[in-house]
Amino acid sequence: MSVIQRSIRSRLLSTSARPTARLTAIPKHRYYANEPPPKASSEDAPAAKPGDSAMIRQEGAAEGHPRHQPDYNVAIDYRTSNFSPIPKRVMDGSEPGDSVAAAVLSGAPMDLQARTVRIYRPAKTATQSGDWHTHHWVMDWDPLPKGHRWENPLMGWQSSADFMQGYSLNFRSKEDAISFANKQGYEYFVQEPNERKFIPKAYANNFVHSPKKLKIIRTK
Amino acid sequence: MINPTYLAQRTRSSANWADAKRRVLHSYRDWLRAAPEIQQMYSLNLPISTIRTKIRQEFERHRYVSQLNTVDVLIFNSHQEFQETLNYWKQLTHVLKYFRTEEEPKARLPSNFINGFLEGRN
Repeated sequence: MSVIQRSIRSRLLSTSARPTARLTAIPKHRYYANEPPPKASSEDAPAAKPGDSAMIRQEGAAEGHPRHQPDYNVAIDYRTSNFSPIPKRVMDGSEPGDSVAAAVLSGAPMDLQARTVRIYRPAKTATQSGDWHTHHWVMDWDPLPKGHRWENPLMGWQSSADFMQGYSLNFRSKEDAISFANKQGYEYFVQEPNERKFIPKAYANNFVHSPKKLKIIRTK
Repeated sequence: MINPTYLAQRTRSSANWADAKRRVLHSYRDWLRAAPEIQQMYSLNLPISTIRTKIRQEFERHRYVSQLNTVDVLIFNSHQEFQETLNYWKQLTHVLKYFRTEEEPKARLPSNFINGFLEGRN
């Protein structure tokens, strides 16, 4: 019965008091005898300094660390297996904001909130046919580290523990995709598309009078 | 004239947080009262206290929900599960979905990174 009591105790804690991963696993810097200790401080970080803008909140490494670490204390699901990734945070409806807490209501397995999702626009095919397949935004799941594919011992077919492999969702706009990912509690990153640069050209511009250089490159 | 099925509850929105709290507590008390019947109906090998603990766990999971609409949907889900369980519309597998930790103590997330690594999770 100790298993049940441990899980109740963790459930009765409020979100702010939830235990976070300890920092003891990080190795300390090894000082060699001749080398002076490193003198870098947080002022040297390349991120935005507090004086740049009032909207940017500077978060120290210690503040962000517990949020970005996997949370080993979440309650497991009926679908958790050895291949399930560890979530960073599981949505429980107490998040501020107006969006629907769909992760709580949908009954989807907790594994989905642990997996990262990529939001991107598909690249144009390298033909001259046109770009009609590149107007929407696609949400794609990152493959699992261990369980995405292995060879079945019986027939040599490809088995997988990943129920989201081969699934992708299409959206009209990037904001739609981001709000969906927020609603469902997915960790996401947005990959901006490579836009082609096009310079409008006119043949008559070759004969325009120019006082200085005659050869001007108009295609760059 | 359509007669509603046994244990059906009319879906409605809660007027305010006090109303929602009242509905949640009524639903919780119904579940607690039904625990011996669930154990007898599905021939579970668990004591009634385990079932009641699980009911408490499931309700506590959503204790800090901040939106009333979400609470309404969760209350509906509770009523739905209650009806399906007590009308014997579920099967043993469906009920045991909730008792994964009790049935299989080995199925759990590792306690830290090193244990997970030694188990073979990437």
